Amino acid sequence: MNEQEKLARFEGEMLPLMNDAYNLARWLVQNEQDARDMVQDAYVRAFRFFSGVRGETSKAWLLRIVRNVCYDHLRKRPVHSSDAELEKIPDHSSPETELQSKSEIAAVRLALSHLPEDFRTILVLREMEELSYREISEITQVPIGTVMSRLARARQQLADLLKQMREKDLV
Amino acid sequence: MTCDELHEHIDPFLDNELGLAEAQKIQQHLEQCPNCESLYASRLAVRDALQKPEMRFLPKADLSDQIHGELLKQIRPPTRRAWRLPAFEFPSWVLPGLAGAAAVLLLWFGSTTFLTGNRTSNGVLATVTGQLVSDHMRSLLGNHLIDVVSTDQHTVKPWFAGKLNFSPPVYDFSDQGFKLIGGRLDYLGDQEIAAVVFQHRQHFINLFVWPKSESTGFPDTSLQKEGFNLYGWEANGLTMWAVTDAAPDTLKTFVDLQRQKQMGTEP
Repeated sequence: MNEQEKLARFEGEMLPLMNDAYNLARWLVQNEQDARDMVQDAYVRAFRFFSGVRGETSKAWLLRIVRNVCYDHLRKRPVHSSDAELEKIPDHSSPETELQSKSEIAAVRLALSHLPEDFRTILVLREMEELSYREISEITQVPIGTVMSRLARARQQLADLLKQMREKDLV
Repeated sequence: MTCDELHEHIDPFLDNELGLAEAQKIQQHLEQCPNCESLYASRLAVRDALQKPEMRFLPKADLSDQIHGELLKQIRPPTRRAWRLPAFEFPSWVLPGLAGAAAVLLLWFGSTTFLTGNRTSNGVLATVTGQLVSDHMRSLLGNHLIDVVSTDQHTVKPWFAGKLNFSPPVYDFSDQGFKLIGGRLDYLGDQEIAAVVFQHRQHFINLFVWPKSESTGFPDTSLQKEGFNLYGWEANGLTMWAVTDAAPDTLKTFVDLQRQKQMGTEP
């Protein structure tokens, strides 16, 4: 397989997954330009290691690389705990904020964006990409038992956060 | 089953990750226990909210082009370019409108070595057509096929004029079964080229166009690659390649229509 053929095969197999890769990256790094850079880096990295033979699906393989690229990027930024970030959610005395849009979608988006990275990752992989525990375990490189308990905590935290936002009359 | 046990298993139950026997126990417990039923309902509500399509972020359409460009750089590292550059017989400035040494290299080989029939020509032909097949395949993925959607040649042609320093032929052949559906910018090496897109029944044809780099005649080339049919020719100072999954006869008909039109004779 020469380089041209390798590229054609790689793109045929991997580019159809670009929207999934972007969605994960966008939820992880939380802005458009960084997400584009992450996806591009992930594709370049994936291409270098592409051989066509893998023990996992193309999607799980690519998303694992996307996740790793995003985590590397996030490690280089100052870390905020989710609680610290929560304080930044404005209350109803700031009428110009995005919270003014009272739609359920906006509320869920906002709540999800304030969960810790591990929780965001696992909810995106499970609920938006509809991957199995096994695939999520391959992507996040933790045992299946951890996938299960992390998912439980992530869902609980998201539900609590939404409830909290409603009680504060934020949404 | 106790409520604590249920709490432990509610997520794998929701995710269809439990065995049948366990799932049945959960189901039974939920039917009898309003507290657990309400926990389950709240889990379902979170899931429904997250699964709404509006929760997903979609990239802008140009991201796949950007990635493709980046990947191309991976297979043509600068060291190799530097090594080949001295083989040029003319400097890059005589090739107007070409961006970067890589494109110069590619097009120079692409136009001259085909003709002289020397031993590198097959390799270069394979490189050019390999990229065009790759461009064609990418164009069929997602929403990438067309940047300007129009069946009107008078819309598509000016659109290219604002983006390229050459003017690709844009004609509609709906009456003959080849409907013009739009245009797109694509890449050959680092150079931007035009892709004029046609539809024939359920097949798409990409007509790739870029300025040819020498005035010598270019023999028609017809070939098959990775399941696609390709036809290349030159006219009016432009190099043209049509790529499609339609049959070779169909492609030839399309190419003949193009050539007749480009030479100013009605088909």
